[in-house]
Amino acid sequence: MLKRFLAAAAAVGVLLAAGAAVAQDAVKIGYAISKTGPFAPAAASQVTTYEYWKQEIEAQGGLNVAGELRPVEWVVYDDQSDFSKGPTIYEKLITDDKVDLLLAPWGTPFHFAIAAVLERYQFPVVGNSAASVDLREVEPGNIWFPTAAIPDQIAVELVGLMQAQGVKSVAINMLQLPFSQEIKRFLMPALEGSGIEVVVNEEYAPGTKDMTATLAAIKDAAPDAILSLSYPPDSILFMNQSRELGIEAPFQLVMIGPTAAFFGKMFGEARDGLVTVGHWTPENEEWEGARAFYEGYTEFAGEEPDYLNSALAYMSLEILEQAVAEVGLDRDALRAYISSETHQTINGPVKFDGVQNVTTPTMFLQFQDGKAQVIWPEETATAEWIPKPAWR
Amino acid sequence: MDVLLSGQLVVSALVLGALYALVALGLNLIYGTMRLLNVAHGDILMLGGYVAFWSFTLLDLPPPVSLFIAFAAAAGFGALVYSLIFRRVLKSTAVLERIEANSLLVFFGISVIIQNLASLAFSANDRAYPYLDQVIDLGGITLGADRLATLVIALAVCLACVFFFRFSRVGLAVRALIQQRDAAALVGIDTDRINLLVFCLGFGLAGLAGTLISMTEQVSPFIGFPFTIAAFVIIILGGLGNLYGSLAGAFILAGIEVYGVALTSSSFRSILVYGVFIAILLLRPQGLFNRGSATR
Repeated sequence: MLKRFLAAAAAVGVLLAAGAAVAQDAVKIGYAISKTGPFAPAAASQVTTYEYWKQEIEAQGGLNVAGELRPVEWVVYDDQSDFSKGPTIYEKLITDDKVDLLLAPWGTPFHFAIAAVLERYQFPVVGNSAASVDLREVEPGNIWFPTAAIPDQIAVELVGLMQAQGVKSVAINMLQLPFSQEIKRFLMPALEGSGIEVVVNEEYAPGTKDMTATLAAIKDAAPDAILSLSYPPDSILFMNQSRELGIEAPFQLVMIGPTAAFFGKMFGEARDGLVTVGHWTPENEEWEGARAFYEGYTEFAGEEPDYLNSALAYMSLEILEQAVAEVGLDRDALRAYISSETHQTINGPVKFDGVQNVTTPTMFLQFQDGKAQVIWPEETATAEWIPKPAWR
Repeated sequence: MDVLLSGQLVVSALVLGALYALVALGLNLIYGTMRLLNVAHGDILMLGGYVAFWSFTLLDLPPPVSLFIAFAAAAGFGALVYSLIFRRVLKSTAVLERIEANSLLVFFGISVIIQNLASLAFSANDRAYPYLDQVIDLGGITLGADRLATLVIALAVCLACVFFFRFSRVGLAVRALIQQRDAAALVGIDTDRINLLVFCLGFGLAGLAGTLISMTEQVSPFIGFPFTIAAFVIIILGGLGNLYGSLAGAFILAGIEVYGVALTSSSFRSILVYGVFIAILLLRPQGLFNRGSATR
């Protein structure tokens, strides 16, 4: 009994000491992200990745700040899926909460929304889940984008990938939202003169609950490739209804959705053969830490990481962590380090030119036997493209 | 043109229509009897989706079983909301005049609270589970078994409701209340009891619809709002408070979505749906199936 009491007392003592240490020299890390509202489901895998990293930091006894392990204090807000709240909250994080480090919000519009605030306060942030040709217009210096899924490059590489697989005809079904519209804007000129004929070209609004008519037209046209430029809700609709109709194109791309954990749970083997936008997989053994991240995250979250957003979020954390370990918390030093050095990430080395990651090539993933494999380009491929098996 | 005549489109429109009918029915019941604008309707539906998801993943209960749980849980929640909030409000004649606007605000608050609590409890993650994912061939028309189940269950529940309102004493009392609230009270209908019942039924139907939707779509705390909107479009099409009208309205909306897209292009879907909606508001503000003077 006494032993147990002493143990408990000791535990309390340790906790108090830890509390005192937090009060003394904790590194304050802040971010705001869509925890509620329409974007919250899309942001959820990024939030989980941040929490996974937090647990990693705690397990190693703190954040390495220029060689010294320091405890971390978190300041987290919900931007309620409201673009206009982003800048206000990040300004509050900088001026009122006086955080030492900032993590990125979710999504392209939120990254753009806070860029001016970061510029004003000269506060460096490694972005992650943003992808748009417009990000090249952002003033370089305080924000960086590790994504390798920028629409103009996606369009060109996608045409290359389809040509390499002997695709002669393509049906395009596009959701009217910015990312998919941007891809299509660059895809149409890239298809001209490529030897690939566009046989169906449809667009639909968000909230669509039935695609039968469009998919029946696609089935009639029997193209070699179908590009479903869709987001998760309508990616599900595409999957369900093209299975019903038995559409059997050998090349089927579903833009956003297949990389998310719930998608695998929902469709199981039916996901196999789908090509999707993404540039990370744990299957590449040359990417140090990729497998460890996959396994650690899966154990922590009880489900797979999102091959797109979780990987990007973790890359941004790795880059920040390495920079802080090297140069500490001084913002000028961080900015200089992040801008100029080559960073080791679970997606291979990353080096920025301006705001953009210039080392990671644009890739495509294909699900094979339940695993995400990089199938394009050849230099980073972990498997060869296979024609999509019949729907299961 | 072949596509237009294909059974595939008919079935698609039927599935969507049956689901819409079920979603709209609960909303219209509560509006019809009490003039309460339940903008949290879609969020009750979302909770039903979670009941189905957790029942499936934790208890191995398939949606045809969990829909009873969802119905009961949502009905219980409806009883709670009525007893705690609306019973008193409906008794005060001073408040009754502003009841539509006030109830909209109250339900908006409830909607935000439900969404945020669901987000805290379940996280904002999309959830989904595989159920009845084989494709069935019905004489040349192919249909996912999950969608077929949705169609059958939604139609059965709608039909059961129609019979209930036509032939049961309580059902007739509900309709009497919809048509003439004061007169119904005068002839001895216990309005408080009927109100409570309608709340249970309205919420319960939304919960049940949520379990059906979870078979074919992902569930997250924020999936409800589009269904609330669709339900409002439908009951305005069919006539506020007109139960049969909203059933017809649901199939009309589904028809517009499926056939409108087939005739024009899928990019016109929203224009078609809201175009028809605005046209009805302008030309027949009482709804397609209500007589001019019958609306209040």
